[in-house]
Amino acid sequence: MADKQLTVGSTFTAGIWSENPVLRLLLGMCPTLAVTTGVKAALTMGLSVIFVLICSNLVVSLMRNLLKPHLRIMMFTLTIATFVTIADLFLKAYLPDMSAKLGPYIPLIIVNCIIICRAESCASKNGPWISVIDGLAYGIGFTVVLCVLASIREILSTGKIFETVQVMPGGFVPWAGMAMPVGAFVTLGLMLGLVNLVTKKKA
Amino acid sequence: MSSKIALFFRESWLLMISSVFFGGLLAITNTAWAPKIAQNEINKFNNLARLLLPTAEKFEPLQEKITLELKGGKSVMDFGGGKSIEADVRKGLDASGNCVGWAFVCEGSGFADKIKLVVAADAQFKTLLGFGVLNSNETPGFGDKINIKDGFYQAQFKGIPAASLTLSKFGDDKKIDSEIIAITGATVTSQSVLNILNQFVEPIHKQLTENNLIHP
Repeated sequence: MADKQLTVGSTFTAGIWSENPVLRLLLGMCPTLAVTTGVKAALTMGLSVIFVLICSNLVVSLMRNLLKPHLRIMMFTLTIATFVTIADLFLKAYLPDMSAKLGPYIPLIIVNCIIICRAESCASKNGPWISVIDGLAYGIGFTVVLCVLASIREILSTGKIFETVQVMPGGFVPWAGMAMPVGAFVTLGLMLGLVNLVTKKKA
Repeated sequence: MSSKIALFFRESWLLMISSVFFGGLLAITNTAWAPKIAQNEINKFNNLARLLLPTAEKFEPLQEKITLELKGGKSVMDFGGGKSIEADVRKGLDASGNCVGWAFVCEGSGFADKIKLVVAADAQFKTLLGFGVLNSNETPGFGDKINIKDGFYQAQFKGIPAASLTLSKFGDDKKIDSEIIAITGATVTSQSVLNILNQFVEPIHKQLTENNLIHP
């Protein structure tokens, strides 16, 4: 696809809804399941992914005409690893508690399929402007889903949101299972089912 | 031969230049943020250690090297049994420079990931004053209860003898002794903390005594 075939609007809506990386493409499942016990952690992960997506898409797009086919995956990985390491160092320096909480999941963004998927299918074939918009849109799509999933899990597992704001009434008994992997699988399954129901009805 | 070298450079020049560029970018970033990251680590240690040793004004690293021979086993999976590590032991000093206790870092495998603790002991290293968690990723709602300051689990370690500890599933958690009551649903995490302490406390005590750093 070339620049002229993609518009900013279609790229943006694709990333957020019609090709949402989590709900429609089922990419990035590892962080989706692992870091959604709380909204703060999900938001941090989402913002980190947005940063890496935008930067890696921009760099890959700028060097797209120089890429040799047999070296492109290596170049993508090198680019992605650099920006993930910068994001990881930033969190360690300025948000050390969050960095400790997210543990290995920030460095693991390197192997997140969303990033390499966008580098391969968009940035290596399009100009910098569309590639940046694509990175932003897919990043926002990923972040929104993570935050919704994390909100549901955090509210049901603790009765609070953002760790401090009480949402559930006083007599609410926290669902411990929602803080565990089973809570992530069940909630994500229900969200996927709901999205499938909505999109099938539209079709 | 020269054509092969030319082919090599023709095919890989972008990768080589990118590697140098990205390597440089990471070097600059690391140089800029490394002092802050190191300071964060020190602050976290000091904050946790001050909660355990409130009379200490500062924590001074030891001049002497405290080297531990690890016995092996699950709790030290990250280092490997039989290996030796240098322990990070600091002397807690009050405003007039007197030793009011010891704080040290110890770590080992937990249920989900490595657990890193700050442990404090009194000046004679006879009694533990408790522990704080520097880093852990234990199961939310179960194993992560080891993080709760003055919670059911952490509170059991205040004032216990600096000796080998054992875990029990039942018993009186208010009783101050070397028997620690496990967190319900997180026996592995509870045992891991004990394994880590058993691995570090006695050898550090022994080394401090051998170096004449503990004055009875």
